[in-house]
Amino acid sequence: MKIAPTIEGGLKIEPESEEDWYVLRAICQDAKGGENDLASRMGDLITDEKISEDWNDIVVPDLRESFWDDLHHVSAEIDSAAAFAKHEEAAIWITQDDAPNWYSALNQARLALEEAHHFGNELEIEIEKFGPVQREAFFRNQFYCALQSFILERVMNC
Amino acid sequence: MPETTTLTNSKTDTATQTPWNVIVHDDPVNLMGYVTFVLKKVFGYSDSRATKLMLEVHELGLSVVWSGELEKAEFYAQQLQLHQLKTTVETAE
Repeated sequence: MKIAPTIEGGLKIEPESEEDWYVLRAICQDAKGGENDLASRMGDLITDEKISEDWNDIVVPDLRESFWDDLHHVSAEIDSAAAFAKHEEAAIWITQDDAPNWYSALNQARLALEEAHHFGNELEIEIEKFGPVQREAFFRNQFYCALQSFILERVMNC
Repeated sequence: MPETTTLTNSKTDTATQTPWNVIVHDDPVNLMGYVTFVLKKVFGYSDSRATKLMLEVHELGLSVVWSGELEKAEFYAQQLQLHQLKTTVETAE
């Protein structure tokens, strides 16, 4: 997979193999996480009884909708590019307008992987102790993090 | 019953005036540059103030990023959670 900055201030992703498409599609799959989704986990953080009920009734559904919108956007972009790839070389473009959607989707994926696998501090990780599923998840997490960093620095200019 | 009314008002005022803290907690996922970016965007903080608060989160495990009335605290916490920062709202007392 090639990832390069564009002159318009965005990023261009060129998948080069089925494995590349697999890992791109895995972003949204990973982001969905387990039974307790990200919006619910955010809601669980608000424990003060004075506000927790309203938070769960009003804020959590808004969070859920916003997170889903980001995933839907990224999923549609990937599917659209993949359909085009059947005919000739395909590319996915991350513009300044949709960089926040991409950053959010990647962050959701990494938060869900962390929730499932508890990778913790990168410096203390011992990859050789991971089983195959956890190892594969770890490398996807590393890829998502690298792409996030590109988006943050090159597109969102942070 | 004027006395009851006075007591009720007094209690309500005290509750309203209790300051609330918006707290961002450390997590192993959110990138440091992103946390700084979000603090600047949500609160309008300067780069140096946002960076200082981000470093507090990173080094101390949490940082009180804003204090004040409950309604605003809830609004800010919602904005921070929308940006996927691990955020709580707690009374300052």
